Amino acid sequence: MKDTISVINQMKADGVVGKYAIGGAVGATFYLEPFATIDIGIFVAFKQTPDSLLVSLSPVYDYLTARGYTLEGEYIVVEGWQVQFLPPGNPLEEEALEQAIETEIDGVEIWVMTAEHLVAIALKLGRPKDYSRILMFIESGKLDPGKLDSIFQRHQLVGKWEAFGDRFLREL
Amino acid sequence: MNEWMRKILESKRQTRSRLAALPFSEKVKILERLRDRSLLIASSDLRRSFSPRPR
Repeated sequence: MKDTISVINQMKADGVVGKYAIGGAVGATFYLEPFATIDIGIFVAFKQTPDSLLVSLSPVYDYLTARGYTLEGEYIVVEGWQVQFLPPGNPLEEEALEQAIETEIDGVEIWVMTAEHLVAIALKLGRPKDYSRILMFIESGKLDPGKLDSIFQRHQLVGKWEAFGDRFLREL
Repeated sequence: MNEWMRKILESKRQTRSRLAALPFSEKVKILERLRDRSLLIASSDLRRSFSPRPR
């Protein structure tokens, strides 16, 4: 994965993408125990083309395929890892990208979403694996309750959080 | 919950805490091994032969 991230960092340095942040299972692994996953979900600030309001993934694919990396469905395989590039699709994901924290893998810099943003995104997605991950975050004690609450308030997730609590946290 | 079950759950919790406390670089190495195993399982003939039929 270190080599994959080095390629992404170079792509950023070359101006193809702006800031990025690792989310999903790999992002959660920064805070929790490692999860079995086969892909890396990377939220990326894409550059908008001047003549379009739509965000285009083409510069990323062009950059990577020109360097020999191949497309596999919605993924592009970079140094052995399936990578999914995701433009932030809502204000919560935009904020998660903006507030991502910098860390490193064996000296290679990498940006990871905060634990609170990972939980908020998981809550919004609401799949069984997301709920399971939220419970793991709660159990880990790695969440800042004040920060989490303000994210829920800002992004209209309070109701969903209360429903989650009623369903899963009554016995804790 | 009996004592035996309680011990199992406590041991599991301790293992998870120990893994979570590892440096990110170490956790990424474990992640890579888990990924390789998942891909191997997904590609095995045994798994394919037991895949449920689409309804």
